[in-house]
Amino acid sequence: MINCSCLVQEGQSPDLKKTEIQAAIQEFTVRSFGLEARIVWTPVAAGNGFTAGKPSTSSVVSITSNEKLSPARRQSLLQEFVALWTTETGSTIDEIVAVITDPAET
Amino acid sequence: MPLYICSTHKDALNPSAKEKIASAITDIHCSVTGAPASFVHAIFFEDHPLFSLGDKKLLVRGTIRRGRSDAQKDEIAEKIKSSLVELGGATEPQVDAVIRETPASWVMEGGEIMPEPGEEAEWFAAQEARRRGEQL
Repeated sequence: MINCSCLVQEGQSPDLKKTEIQAAIQEFTVRSFGLEARIVWTPVAAGNGFTAGKPSTSSVVSITSNEKLSPARRQSLLQEFVALWTTETGSTIDEIVAVITDPAET
Repeated sequence: MPLYICSTHKDALNPSAKEKIASAITDIHCSVTGAPASFVHAIFFEDHPLFSLGDKKLLVRGTIRRGRSDAQKDEIAEKIKSSLVELGGATEPQVDAVIRETPASWVMEGGEIMPEPGEEAEWFAAQEARRRGEQL
């Protein structure tokens, strides 16, 4: 499984869209890593998210790869994910912080 | 990025205190590192199982871009702890702040890979140029 943590600003993604977004994330991880995602969807309640000290509309999504990625591969995956997120949520590229980490070294 | 996750107990902080702490974290991060404020995200969670408090009343977990010195990271953590005491109604033993790092190249904001520490001006210039190009 591919771990995917989504800290989502309340109101940015209506509940009706949540299922569609999660399905799109599943398709993304299967296509990109060959594995389904274990999605932890964590809403950020209104008044609890700040950017530059002001109320924020940014969500933060962190995905853990199952292999070490080259810079070019990671950039390509991040671009694909950001496009997915903005399309599915209707948010702008300034409202998504996306992270793809390498697997933890054991 | 940076991302500061602030864990508290339910209703331990009122909205005004959260805003003041978020501003303090932003100011501290920017003054110590020189990073732009627009990069700094602070999110509060109350009694959230993913972000446990342990024996603390207020706990901040910061994830910052790799490349800062140990002295800078220690200064950020110490100043954040002081701000939690000052603004969060807690005593020193009741607060903690921990900093970890992630490579800038692992993070995308504004549709671009984040710049390495110290390369922010070039990054903003490139973003601005790209956006001007998109408008043509």
